Parts: sequence; C-alpha cells; structure tokens
Amino acid sequence: MVKESFIKELAKILGRENVLSARKDLLAYSYDSTPERGMPEVIVFPRSTAQVSAVMKAVHREKIPVVPRGAGTNLSGGTIPTSGGVVLELSRMNRILEIDSANRRATVEPGVVNLDLQNALAPLGFVFPPDPASQKSSTLGGNVGENAGGPHCLKYGVTSKYVCGMEIVLADGEIVELGGSAEDTPGYDLRALLIGAEGILGIVTRLVLNIVPLPETSWILLAVFETLEDASQAVSDIISAGIIPGALELMDKTSCWVIEQSISAGYPTDAEGVLLIELEGLGDSLDRQAKDISEICRKNKMRELRLAKTTDEKAVLWQGRRGFFGAVARICPQYVVMDGTVPRNMIVPALRKVGEVAEKYKVTIANVAHAGDGNLHPLILFDVNSEKEKKAAKEAGKVILKVCLDMGGTLTGEHGIGLEKLPTMKAMFRPADLAAMHRVKSVFDPDSILNPGKLLPPEEDGPHHEEKEAPA
Amino acid sequence: MDKTASPEQPALGPRLAGIVGPENVATDRQVTKTYEVDGLVPAAVVFAANTEQVSQIVKAGNESGASIIPWGSGSKQAVGPCLSSADIVLCLKPMNRIIELNTGNFSVEIGAGLSNAALQKQMGEHRLLFPLDPLYLETSTIGGELATNASGPRRAAYGTARDIVLGITAVTPTGDIIHTGGRTMKNVAGIDLCKLYIGSWGTLGIITEAVLRLFPLPEVSRSLCLTFAGIEDAFRLVARLLISPLTPGSVELIDGVAGRNSAPIGDSPLAEDEVRLLIDISGNREEVERHLKEISAMAGANQVRHIATLEGEAATRAWNAYRGAHQAVLSAAPSAFQGKASVPLSRQADMFKAIKEIGQKYRVPTGIRGHCYNGILYPYVVAGDDHAVSIIGDLKKAAADLGGFFIVESAPLPVRKSAGALPRRSDRALMKRLKTEFDPNNILNPGKLGEGAD
Repeated sequence: MVKESFIKELAKILGRENVLSARKDLLAYSYDSTPERGMPEVIVFPRSTAQVSAVMKAVHREKIPVVPRGAGTNLSGGTIPTSGGVVLELSRMNRILEIDSANRRATVEPGVVNLDLQNALAPLGFVFPPDPASQKSSTLGGNVGENAGGPHCLKYGVTSKYVCGMEIVLADGEIVELGGSAEDTPGYDLRALLIGAEGILGIVTRLVLNIVPLPETSWILLAVFETLEDASQAVSDIISAGIIPGALELMDKTSCWVIEQSISAGYPTDAEGVLLIELEGLGDSLDRQAKDISEICRKNKMRELRLAKTTDEKAVLWQGRRGFFGAVARICPQYVVMDGTVPRNMIVPALRKVGEVAEKYKVTIANVAHAGDGNLHPLILFDVNSEKEKKAAKEAGKVILKVCLDMGGTLTGEHGIGLEKLPTMKAMFRPADLAAMHRVKSVFDPDSILNPGKLLPPEEDGPHHEEKEAPA
Repeated sequence: MDKTASPEQPALGPRLAGIVGPENVATDRQVTKTYEVDGLVPAAVVFAANTEQVSQIVKAGNESGASIIPWGSGSKQAVGPCLSSADIVLCLKPMNRIIELNTGNFSVEIGAGLSNAALQKQMGEHRLLFPLDPLYLETSTIGGELATNASGPRRAAYGTARDIVLGITAVTPTGDIIHTGGRTMKNVAGIDLCKLYIGSWGTLGIITEAVLRLFPLPEVSRSLCLTFAGIEDAFRLVARLLISPLTPGSVELIDGVAGRNSAPIGDSPLAEDEVRLLIDISGNREEVERHLKEISAMAGANQVRHIATLEGEAATRAWNAYRGAHQAVLSAAPSAFQGKASVPLSRQADMFKAIKEIGQKYRVPTGIRGHCYNGILYPYVVAGDDHAVSIIGDLKKAAADLGGFFIVESAPLPVRKSAGALPRRSDRALMKRLKTEFDPNNILNPGKLGEGAD
C-alpha cells in the first residue's frame, strides 16, 4: 500500500508534475489490449537515470512493487499493475542521444519511439532492423524488454541481435553498465538476460543499439492464393529453397477484409491467403529473386501477383499489415491474440490446426503471421459482453498454444509471457528450467519488487502441468 | 591464491567409474598429465556419453567438493583467466552425435562434443552452412565454441553464437539438467538463459546439447585479397564499406608481421610493413559481381598496391593460411602472447597504430590480425616475459582510451597469471553474484570468470 507521504517523497524526487495519483490517471494505466486489469497507486515519469535510481531506492526501501512501462503495447498483459504500487513510465526519457553511422551505433533513452529512431536514421541511409508492427507507438526500451520482432526479423534477426550496450538500474537503485559500444565485452552476457525479461530484472535507462545501412533497393510482391493452405505451402517452399526475403508475411481472408475496412491497402478481400513478400538487397539481384519466388508461388496455384517498386506503392502495402491490430480493434475491440511460434517447416500443419480450433470452438479467428519465421498471430475475436464468447476465445487460445508446443514450438515468438501466458509456462518448461530462471531473478531482484507476477510463475505453485512428462 | 590439484578423493574414483564405467575414467598420471591446465594436473579425467552422466558427475563433484573442468577438444583451455583448481576434467568428446537435422526448419540439434569440422562437412552435403568459423574449427567442439563464445571471420555477416544458437541443454553446477530456448527462430518465453550460457566459459553450467541455426550455402563465393602499404588506406576502405549497402561475408585484416610464419595468404607475398584485407563475398551471382566491381573500385581509390580475386582452391588456401597464421606466429616464438582489443569500428586504425607504437616503445615486434566489421584486433606481441606485463598494461590503457577494452588470450602461464584478469566494470558484482547463486560450492571452472580484480 502506497502512503500519501510516499507519494510526496516521489514528487520531491521528480517534481509534482511528474507524479500522477488521481483516480482518472490511475485508470488510464490499469489496462492494455488484453482483457486483464489492475489498478496502480501512483504513476511516475522520471526524466533521467539519476531519477530512476532515486525512485528505485525509495521503492526498494518500502518494498513497493514497480511496473516499468514504455507504451504498453506488449499484447500480453506485461505492463498491467496487478500488484498495485508504482508504474514507472519511461516515455519522457525519449532523447536520441547520438547517431554515429561511422560506428554503426545509435545511443538512445528507453522512451524513444521505434519509428522516431527510424525516421532519424533514414536520411543518413541507416535503419534499426527490429520493426514491430507497433513501431509507431512502441518504445525502444519496451522493444528490448520484450525482445520484439517484426516483419524484417526474418532476414535481420530480433532485437537481441541489435543491442550492443545498455545502462540499467537495478531493483535497489544501483546503476550498472552492460556491454558497450565495442563488441564482445568480457564476462557474462547480462544483456541477454535483460532483453526479453519484461522488466522483472532491471530497468533499462540507456541503450547502445546496432544500426545497419539501408538496403539499396526493396520491392514488394503481393501474392494472392485461393486457399490458406496454398499460401502457407508457398511460404514453406520459399524458405526451404534457401531464399531469405526481407520479410514474408501471411494474411488470411478475414484479416484482409478487416484491414480494408479501415485502411484501404488494396488487399483482395475474396482470397483465402495473401502473402506480402519484401525483397531487399542490391538492385542487381532482385530480378532473379522475384522470378524464383513467383515461380514457387505459381507452383502453389497462385491466383495473382502484384509487384510494387515505388516508395508510395510499398508504403500503402505495408500500412495495411502494420495497421492490422488497430484495424481489428475498430471492428472488434476485444480479442485474444496468440503469438505461438513453430519450426518453419510446420507452418502449414499449424495453420490447418488453427482452422480446426476455430471451427471446434465456434470462434472467429483472423490470421496474420510472420510466416517465414513460423510466427503465428491468430486473433481470436469475441464480444466483450458475452461471457460465453470470452471463455471460448480464451480456451481456443490455450489449445492453439498447446498445438504449437506439440509441434516443437514455443508459447511466444515476440509478444512475451506477461500475465496472459503465465499459466502456460509450466507446459513448456520443467521445474529445473524455471528454478534456474528464479535463481537469476533472485540475483537481480531478491525482494521481487520489479514487475511482480509476470513472466515467471511463482516457485511453489502446485504440481506441474500433467501434459509435460516429468524429467527422467 | 592458487591451490594445487587436490589428491584424488578416495571415494570419488569408484563413484565416477560407477557413473560412466571404469573404461571412461582415467586416474593414471601419464594420462591425466596430458590434461594439465594452468599448471594443474587433474586427479581424474572422465569421459561422459550423455547429459544424464554429466549431471551425475557434477552431483558427485558437489558432494565431494571436487572442482570440475568441462573439456571439449582443449583448444581454449589455455586462454583467458587461470583456473584456481582442477580436480576432475570432464570430457564431452564422446557426445558427438547429430541428434536431429531439420532441413525444412534450417536447424540441427547436436551433442556438445561434436567437432565444428565434422558438422560443417555433414551440413555441406545437404548444401547447408553452419556459419560459426572460429580459429580451431578443425578440432574444436561446438560445446567448447559456445561456452567460450568463439567466433571467426563469418561473424561479419552471420553474427556470433548468440545469433545462431536456438536452444541449449545444460547441466547446472548443482547437477540439474535444464533446457533453454528451443528450435524456433523467435522465442521470448521466459528468461533467455540460452544466451547466458554462451560465453560463460563453463562457470555456470556445462552445455551438453544445442540446437543451431543453419543457412543455405551461398550460390557463389569469391575472395578479394587487397594489399596496402599503409593502415590508413586499408581502414578508409573499410569505413567506406561500412556505410555502403554492400554486404560482404567477412572482412579480415592481417599485417606482414602476423603473417610472416604462415603459408602465403593469397597469391603474393606480404611484406612486414604491409597490411592485407581478405574479404569474402558470398551470395547470388549478381550480388557477387557487383561487390567485386565496387570493392575493387574503392580499393583503387585508396592506394591499393595489389588486388587479387580468388576462387575455389586458391581461396580456400588463402583462408586456411590466414587462419593458420595465429598458431604459426605463436609457435615460432614461445614467449609471444596474443590478446584481443575491441574498440568502436571507427577507432580501429587508431588502435592498430597504438599497438605498433607500444611495440616500438618496448622494442618488440607486433603483428596484428582482425575482424574489421566488428572492431576487433588481435595483437601478437613477440615479447620476453619480463616486458609482457607492462606491455599489456599499455594495451589495456590504449584500448580503454579509445572506448574499448583489451584482454589477454593466449600467453605463457606466468603472463596470464599476472595479467589475465578481466576489466573492472560496474557489472562484475552482478556476475559474481550469479556465479555464487548458480555454483554455491564454486566447483565449475573455479577462477575462469576472472574474479581477480584488475
């Protein structure tokens, strides 16, 4: 319980204008896109590492829970303050401190929005490859906390590949540097622990990121298929032919329809499967890549192929895919989005299973997928006023995750465990695996004040999932 | 601080034999002597055939307080900080199976004792590439390479182990078997212990199996061999490349001193005051042609002395000679040592010059090899032991002044003992706490974290 005197102490550290505790403000930080809710007791907006450290020293003394937060777009309930306490909002630490293209590094504060960095880099001919669909609003600190992906991670890899150094504040307020601008810092790769840890190990206050030159040329192919199966088979065939496009996105008929309702990206609304394929590289090499890919698509009964080469055409095609989640929310504000990921050669059977689950649970599922990576994003739509539908949607989501695990996959490719998938962790990890994660947690945050109740199921939490065999 | 290897624990030998069979335990000093590391001769060498055996051996070590040194091919054992104790060498060489190759997913699951060369060869038959290519890949095991975060020229295009490893099975210092990561390209479930194990030098656990990413073999490969009179010209070319949309596979540098004991690197001799860039260009035909044309033009604009385009056998020979230079220069001078300087990309020329100046100050020849796309230079210092510690001090200072660091890798034991500690940084306390939490009895590779303050 946060006392009035403590809020005053926070105001003294940060200035009164950087501390919110009115009920209407607290409400605004009590939710995200998941159906979960939790009320914080105070919101703080630090503007410097020193302020983050001072806040952490105070909360550490009082053992008050803290939820570090960027833009809250994680899609897994990771920033919902389920234990009350403090929401530490980093969006005002949003300065790009340095862009050093000769060294291929950018140094930023955690609150910088992903797209703002991209916009600063583009005129210099550079890009920060991780490009989550939420890049218009999601922050780089959040991207690191979630180890965010995005369409271009197919070719370039996820956020973890692009974090060279970081400054973090530990639960007790200590400031620590991990890595740096130079590569291969000796000792343990502690960055790796922080990246994707959803704020349970420390708070990132500065990042040194790797940036790379923009590709010389990029084209987009939009390949249209009569069935989802043909489209996903084409994905599988492209990957196994050894072609690595910049991005390889799949959308089903429902998704295309939803997108066209609000964005007009020019997607067909009568085809069951559409692939958005970005080719990138030297101009000289794209012709043949395009030819090889369209040949594979034709073998899989492609109905239509469009090629976009101009900046405007390409932007419109990307706008559709990137605006998908927003477009869904306009039509159906409540949905469950799953993020299970399967080995790349399992994309066809995985999508088939998702279709079967939709039928069995009588729910509407809109599928998009970072298909080249085997990363599914089935959106299970439901009416918020119908308890029955909500229950069916949640149930269907669980079954889909089980399907992914059975195929040798994972619970989440980029959205995180957060709150939403906590109950499924024991289906994926054995007690010893989780115990090792808890050891790490206890080193970084022995009092468990950082984002408690997220990512890691509590240690003594009854028997493990019966579907997982006991270790030998 | 260093204690000598403790005598064999009476109950331990039979217990180890009970786990792996007596034929897989050696206590005869003639055998154990060949596993001497940092001046310590282990009391026993044990060969494990599976993860379960590793777990039981580690549990036995914990119960008897015997330190355990995980061992692959041994190629990195004399690198980095020194061990403080070595009772049992635990060799994973027998765990050398390909457990599952999934060509459709571009992944392979292997036992940690598999050698890199054996994996490369088998993957090549499927037209697949495992991109990790550290120096000793002919003998080194994948487990050892991951544990030491070893990398090679291809890191310019494919990254390091942390970008290539999808999953790891490990035995913790208390004997628990844990599975981290998985087999998917993306995976953010839980804390990423997988990457923690990469580069932890066997101090947090023993990697027993791993799932690795594979890539399609490129359609065409060529190598450009560019010789320069001056370092400035070579690094100006590198700087141009780094901001261009070209994507070379590797960009390596070697100078005449580092190359003087090896077979010819390329088609022409390399004078002691020259430097050579060896650039791999791989991809489809059109891409490779463009790269050759543009990089040659850039080289021409930067006073290149000699340009050669190599392919096939000639390219392989050049790369083998390049890789062999490391051992050749160290073998030629027993008192030589090699370290690693990592600096921001744009400071590589400055670091290069600093190394040469330090060499001149102490009147010792210095050779340099490096990964130019990663800001990493490997100085070879042909120095008597009496100067080594001062030289290392100067190198550390020079690298730190340029925003990077320098560490000692291969060096005579006395040099590593007196100058092998890792840089003092604000994250060291966290590392020590992790080590203590994972390994409360300090039995796995004690000392290897470089606990000694600098």
